[in-house]
Amino acid sequence: MSTMTGRAVAPGGTRLTLRQKLGRWDVRYSPYLYVAPFFILFGLVGLFPLAYTFVVSLNKWDLLRGPGEWIGFDNFAAELADPLLWNSIANTFSIFLLSAVPQLIVALIIAAVLDQNLRAKTFWRMSVILPYVVTPVAVALIFSNLFGEKYGLINNMLQGIGLDPVLWKTETIPGHLAIATMVNWRWTGYNALILLAAMQAVPRDIYESAAIDGAGAMRRFFSITVPSIRPTFIFVIITATIGGLQIFTEPKLFDASSSIPGGVFRQYQTTVLYLWDMAFNRGNFGKAAAIAWILFLIIVLIGVVNFVLSRRIASSESTRPARRALRSSRGQR
Amino acid sequence: MKLSRRTKAGAAVAAAAALALVATGCSQSPAADDDGPITLTVTTFGTMGLDGLYAQYEKDHPNITIKATNIDTGGNALTDWKTKQAAGNGLPDIQAVEEGWLGQVMGVSDSFVDLRDFGANDIKDRWVPWKLGQATDPKGRIIGYGTDIGPEGLCYNSKLFEAAGLPGDRAAVAELLGGSGATWEKFFEVGKQYHAATGKAWYDQSGFVWNAMVNQQTEGYYTKSGELNVKDNATLQGLWAQLADGAKSGLSSNQSQWDWGGGKAFTDGSFATFMCPGWMLGVVKGQVEAAGGDGSSGWDFADVFPGGAANWGGSFLTVPTTSKHQKAAAELAAWLTDVPQEVAAFQAAGTFPSVVKAQSDAGVTGSSDLTKFFNDAPVGQILGSRATGVVAQFKGPDDSIIQEQVFGPSVKEIDSGTDGTTAWNDAMKLLDQLVVNK
Repeated sequence: MSTMTGRAVAPGGTRLTLRQKLGRWDVRYSPYLYVAPFFILFGLVGLFPLAYTFVVSLNKWDLLRGPGEWIGFDNFAAELADPLLWNSIANTFSIFLLSAVPQLIVALIIAAVLDQNLRAKTFWRMSVILPYVVTPVAVALIFSNLFGEKYGLINNMLQGIGLDPVLWKTETIPGHLAIATMVNWRWTGYNALILLAAMQAVPRDIYESAAIDGAGAMRRFFSITVPSIRPTFIFVIITATIGGLQIFTEPKLFDASSSIPGGVFRQYQTTVLYLWDMAFNRGNFGKAAAIAWILFLIIVLIGVVNFVLSRRIASSESTRPARRALRSSRGQR
Repeated sequence: MKLSRRTKAGAAVAAAAALALVATGCSQSPAADDDGPITLTVTTFGTMGLDGLYAQYEKDHPNITIKATNIDTGGNALTDWKTKQAAGNGLPDIQAVEEGWLGQVMGVSDSFVDLRDFGANDIKDRWVPWKLGQATDPKGRIIGYGTDIGPEGLCYNSKLFEAAGLPGDRAAVAELLGGSGATWEKFFEVGKQYHAATGKAWYDQSGFVWNAMVNQQTEGYYTKSGELNVKDNATLQGLWAQLADGAKSGLSSNQSQWDWGGGKAFTDGSFATFMCPGWMLGVVKGQVEAAGGDGSSGWDFADVFPGGAANWGGSFLTVPTTSKHQKAAAELAAWLTDVPQEVAAFQAAGTFPSVVKAQSDAGVTGSSDLTKFFNDAPVGQILGSRATGVVAQFKGPDDSIIQEQVFGPSVKEIDSGTDGTTAWNDAMKLLDQLVVNK
């Protein structure tokens, strides 16, 4: 296509031939054409469903019988007053905290260990990413079996040492812990590798001079490693948050035979599961659409909070390099 | 890359042509010629025993190709049907529909073909009358041909019975529980005796018992005229009290339904009786085998059911109006539900026929792998006897929601030790939340 862009410069003063006009339009408009596929696709599978879902949420809409009457924001009002929605939001955040906090701490420790001079480095690094390769469905089935109340391995071992069995699938907190375990098992190694990559980029001579100054291993970790990987850590937190708010497969398959998705008392029904139940079991498409929008707004809100926090942290940390960059860019102009 | 204008024009034409090809490929000609080669799509679920029959039909009708899809569970099939029904697109020529969906299906019965237009009136005496009644919509249109029904008998473990000092022989067990006049009182009474003798549970969990109790009423969660019939329903409340008392007395093993510890609960003596509609016999056999057991595990099948005849489940074959080959699809559905085919399905999957003549066919009453597993119990004969007296209950639009989401949690509550009144009140709260004020 290089020949076509060459044609764009029209000779000054003379009337443009059709050929020249085409050439000029080519330069002016083709870039939009080249980026169009993304935006058309985004419009079709992103923006349109979002808008359509909003329209659905303003109607009484039965899954099978289709749209009913226009009821404005009644679905939103009904859902915001529904204890089952708040139950699902509380469950989502509880499972998110139970998984994200220990997961990131453990990932940090694993990364720090892998950052040492180990024998067979690649072997250890490959090993921590292994759980991530297994599909979530398989993970959920295996863990669901482990956490079985009567025949599960974990309860068998507890009873073996004379403890009472834990009702993983009936009680709330044990259920959340079990699901958080699945999430942690899958994601800890993944996050550890990302943190490890950040740690490897920390210049070794800083450690050396700190060691010469008499700083111990703990001191070096908290005063050099942790501050140096802060931007990466923020990235890991943000991705973990987004993933945590959309958790579906693990609670859905934890008790796959349950007639209510997310446990018979909805004790670990997350918001996405609640939405699914509303749409496909209870058949109320209007309310399901309203839930989808409420969840969307919650995620946007958390995204904004994340953005503000991370900007503040990043700017307080890198004020001087930023200024230097500004100065050099001015100099170039 | 350097392209001449002509090449580009050529490419554009080619692209347009390709698009046009794709477009024509998608749209079938609406004028379906039933003599020409046609493809019929069939969607079934679980184990319906039809898979072996398609090849034979294709052989007899060389112009017809059958493309069959079997979805693993009824629940997933329901989601699949609902999604496609809601989209108005993608439904097969023949859609299998389960009894539990009827409440929702009848709400949109106009989107199913009235099979009377394709000869349903000529063959409608084939089925037991209540099965035909279930498939008839409020306007009198017949929208489905019955495949199987689910008359319930009692599965029991003869070895556990004998160890507890109860009779092990299936005729004596039927007699012990009251024979043709068997009641739930008697069932719980004998259960308490068994529990006193062994300290073990009588049934696996309360959900299936409650299911049977509700299903055998002439009116269940809805009245015949479609009104909600749960609150202040003295019959249901009385049965609930009995069920809660049974659970409190240790008769429920509080197993997780459809899991049973991978079948281990069936082989380790956790419980001695089990609610068994015809299709459940295959499930019991599968569970026992999954846990490494076989026919020697002691499970047997008795011709008795507490509280009278009960039906659980059973399916229909329907033709959605979106089908382009309605006549051919209706013919295939009629053939699949004819006597020889229903007998073959029973032999393949234990689905008890809804067609009267098939019920007494030697292929159903005779011996099979299933009869061998159940200690040579004449399974087909017993199911035929259990099918007499079944009433078709009206299923309202939210029937399955009430069964699963309103009473599901309360059933788990009484199995975990909550008293019956509290659990009933919790169910009524959920009823208001999920059904009344939806």
